[in-house]
Amino acid sequence: MNKTVLKLRPASYWRIGEHESWFSDMAANGLYIKRMGLYLAKFVKGEPQQMRYRIDVTPKKKMMQEQIDMYADCGWDYVTSYNQFHVFSSLVERNAPEIHTDPAEQAYTLKELDKKLKANAAMTVIALILIIGMLLAIWFLDRTPVLMAVEGSAIQQTIIAMLFIYLAYQSFQAAISIRALRNKLSEGKPVDHHAPWKKHFRRNNAVTVLFLIYTLLSLAFFATQFIKKETKTLPSVSGDLPIVRLADIERDPAFVRGASEHMSDGVDWSNRYTYHWSLFAPVQYETDENGVIPGKPAADGSGDYSPELSTKVFQLTFPLMADELLSDLVKWYNYDNDEESFIEMNHPELDRLIVHETKEYKEVFASKGKAVMYVRYCGNASFDLIIGKMAEKMELISK
Amino acid sequence: MAYHGGPMTEAMYYVLLALMHPNHGYQLMQAIEEVSNGRVKMGPGTLYGVLSRMQKDGLISLAKDDGRRKTYIITPEGEQALRMEYRRLKAMIEDGRILEDGERNE
Repeated sequence: MNKTVLKLRPASYWRIGEHESWFSDMAANGLYIKRMGLYLAKFVKGEPQQMRYRIDVTPKKKMMQEQIDMYADCGWDYVTSYNQFHVFSSLVERNAPEIHTDPAEQAYTLKELDKKLKANAAMTVIALILIIGMLLAIWFLDRTPVLMAVEGSAIQQTIIAMLFIYLAYQSFQAAISIRALRNKLSEGKPVDHHAPWKKHFRRNNAVTVLFLIYTLLSLAFFATQFIKKETKTLPSVSGDLPIVRLADIERDPAFVRGASEHMSDGVDWSNRYTYHWSLFAPVQYETDENGVIPGKPAADGSGDYSPELSTKVFQLTFPLMADELLSDLVKWYNYDNDEESFIEMNHPELDRLIVHETKEYKEVFASKGKAVMYVRYCGNASFDLIIGKMAEKMELISK
Repeated sequence: MAYHGGPMTEAMYYVLLALMHPNHGYQLMQAIEEVSNGRVKMGPGTLYGVLSRMQKDGLISLAKDDGRRKTYIITPEGEQALRMEYRRLKAMIEDGRILEDGERNE
């Protein structure tokens, strides 16, 4: 028989008068408040009755039994508590005396809460400044915001920061509202026990629902990014993957895979490929590979010739980002801040092509449609050969 | 806020007055109503707040605590503060006499 009903609370928890009138209006419809949660209120169904509700605030979280007994002696029954807020009810016909007959005295009951909320708000500001500073650093310290967005980790931080900004805004509102109520009481103006709660109802519910949706979406987003991330040992042949392979570049039948210098969880990290998912680049591969051609001497005479290859490839959601991503990759790998050694070239099958050569390695940055690729190669093969292989693989994901 | 002399709130004044005899929660409310000739009806929230604050300030103390009921009594400091407040209020009433003279003249 005792059916319970859940409802979204119509106003923020610090709005005392609104909650009191809401509980009364619900009781008049046969719904009696039982428990309050963060967002939901639990009601028990019963006969409709005219009830008065009062919310009392205590300095500490728990209300003393003595105080509850004293209210009970006067006809006020304890219902439930949330934080420092305690709900009492009384039938209208019982004609119980008002709990607080002196607003200035009631103002004292808010003193501790006021202090606490103020401290909270201050902490939140400090944390907010730190978070925003960190966020700006993540996005702009390396001056590669598009790369950050495409790789996705900065987006996670930003989503978390957005949630935090909302919580900070709430803690501010709480502090300001309780301070205002305390001042009002000090001036002798009592709490409005019939404060209109409908005014806040829609807006508050809309904000709560949006907040929940946003939180769920971000969780789904994190989960996708996390679940989809996967690292495996490179197979000897990977024809259908848009990855340039060392063997393709070396084109020597004597070529064999190099040593596994770093094994972990059954993955050879010296010869691995990692798949990532992110909002702006749902297909991303990152590879590291090394090999040996036994019997062929290395250029510096330090044993056998052993080339190395590292690559990154992105298939973007929006091809418009390709240009910026390419520029950011160049900035990211430009360790010496020597822009002139990165040379822009033309290629009939690519949108953009930038090459860079140092004593130790060759680097190629290329884009075509949705595809962006970065290759760093340490070995004897020519740029033309590398670029040709890249164009071939990028063709697979450029649309 | 600790009490350091000066004007008292109405609630404080009447609770101290009623605690010239040891008393506890519910009865205290009735005692206040009596001592104020029915003028002051103090709610339990207000009374509880005043009691806990004045106990902290040493104006009243616990005379008996049998678990459920706490009986309070005024302390010497409390009585001193009450008498000072009484003298202050009396002086104010005396100063107000000119109003009654004025009324008679009209």
